[in-house]
Amino acid sequence: MANFIQNQPWKRNSVSRRVQILLAIVVPLPLVSLVALLSGLDPTMTFITLFLPLQLFAAGLVGYLSYGKRGFGDAALLFITTFLSLFVLILLMSVLWSVVTEGFKALSPQFIYQNNKYVDQTTSLEFGGVGHAILGTLLLILMTTLAAVPLGFAMAIYLTQSQSKARNLVRTFTQAISGLPSVVSGLFILAIIEATGIGRSGLTGALALFPLMLPTVARVAEESLKLVPVDLRYAALALGSPNYRAFFRVILPAAKTGLLTAVLLGLARIVGETAPLLLTLNPSSATNLNPFDGGMMALPTYVYNYLASYYDTSQARAWGASLVLLILVAILFGTARIIGRQKSLKSKGKK
Amino acid sequence: MSTDSFAMTAENVSVWFGERKVLEDVNLSFPARQVTALIGPSGCGKSTFLRTLNRMHELIPGAGLAGSIYLDGQDIYGEDVDAVSVRIKVGMVFQKPNPFPTMSIQDNVLSGLKLSGRKIDNAAEVVETSLRRASMWNEVKDRLGDQATSLSGGQQQRLCIARSLAMNPEILLMDEPCSALDPGSTRRIEETINELKDSMSIVIVTHNMQQAQRVSDLTAFFLADDNVPGGVVEFGSTQQVFHGPIDSRTNDYVNGHFG
Repeated sequence: MANFIQNQPWKRNSVSRRVQILLAIVVPLPLVSLVALLSGLDPTMTFITLFLPLQLFAAGLVGYLSYGKRGFGDAALLFITTFLSLFVLILLMSVLWSVVTEGFKALSPQFIYQNNKYVDQTTSLEFGGVGHAILGTLLLILMTTLAAVPLGFAMAIYLTQSQSKARNLVRTFTQAISGLPSVVSGLFILAIIEATGIGRSGLTGALALFPLMLPTVARVAEESLKLVPVDLRYAALALGSPNYRAFFRVILPAAKTGLLTAVLLGLARIVGETAPLLLTLNPSSATNLNPFDGGMMALPTYVYNYLASYYDTSQARAWGASLVLLILVAILFGTARIIGRQKSLKSKGKK
Repeated sequence: MSTDSFAMTAENVSVWFGERKVLEDVNLSFPARQVTALIGPSGCGKSTFLRTLNRMHELIPGAGLAGSIYLDGQDIYGEDVDAVSVRIKVGMVFQKPNPFPTMSIQDNVLSGLKLSGRKIDNAAEVVETSLRRASMWNEVKDRLGDQATSLSGGQQQRLCIARSLAMNPEILLMDEPCSALDPGSTRRIEETINELKDSMSIVIVTHNMQQAQRVSDLTAFFLADDNVPGGVVEFGSTQQVFHGPIDSRTNDYVNGHFG
């Protein structure tokens, strides 16, 4: 470490300056705590009215002593950004923490694979689980993905590869749909259900998710295709390649990582959606793998159903399902990233 | 010279971008197995003209063209001529090296054959011959599987030349192929050009007048004025254009009085 610093003269700090920085970081907190204890002020108020300004002042002072006016601004900004990022990080971590600790109480192997067929609101946690909801969520996002990804990619290809005049119209509509509140999408499908008399099923649930996923996939895919230099397309065409082959062999491989991101962001958009499913999917406690008939449960709707209950076991089930949903998302994204990376490694090492 | 000895002939070619006419009435004949240099100041339309020769010009939105360009006695802008078939016969090397970043060196050489949908029976042989002709076989023969982007700029440009050569084009168009390269790489590409002209015709756009004198047999001087479309001022043997130009504007340009 010492050698490392020696070879980076721009990072060298004299001993006295390092002491100053240390003091500025360490001193304000105990000082303010002492004041709060002695005066008996409200801790939160003291934190906001005394600690933050004092810490800001200390940081600014050290900056000023080192680099003058510019150092003051530099240190003040550093403090503000650090404080705000810590603030957001703590918020995020506390959400994650409560889901993990609360959810862990319900988690067990049987909770993962059993369904809730014989469970009521007060049944002990040793019986039943979210197996049917996991399968339901997987089936729903699979159906939605199968429809939204090909169409979203097709839209992105149309928007980037053609010279058509209708592109702006398509782009405007895509942007408009991407701002659609998810409950409106559910209402739209609900209206179709009411008007046509088709029953609620997994299919109607997937249909309600479709308008949410499509614009995300299309827009991100469009952006990643746009990033491929036009030089490459010209190079392929100049070699006597038809347009479609230039696209599939040259442009598509170059945009591969971006397209994978488009799919992942699309999945992220729908995997936790609750409102549209509440309107278009009949909840079911039993496992149902037929997407065209009968009720079905998804993890978010499972959480919604049990969270509203007054019974502890039901609430524990809701927390457990939330944790399972988080883990499921982590697994999906992790796998996708690993698949994406392996493919690019393979093409790199090919002999 | 009979028409057979010309690889390509441009007759009354005019070019537009939208409403703006950028080239007017260009007549040029490129003799077979010779190197023709197109010189002229920036914006005179020489690169644009080059791109009309393999129908890359029409890819730019708003592009327009009048006149005829004959290749093997057939107008490449004829009604029943496919742009793809023209580009297979007329290869092109761009100003900026543009190897395909997702492919290995070997796959880049073979990319033209794959992209134009031809069957490749003797891949290894095609790769070696093409890389040898672009005089880079010895540098890369042990790393054919490496990504093309791992090569230096000069090597990338020679890979692009090898990629075009694998197609066995009748004519090779080069759009300032050395403008982004160092003198060493430039020299090697010029040597390659000298070796290639035994088997194909080459049209090269260059800003470097020494280069034009070193590599070309014929030179065409393009010039455009403010609000006047560009055209060919003088066309003749390189020796004549540089040492005994007929037009005073050519004389001024090749002697560095403007441009």
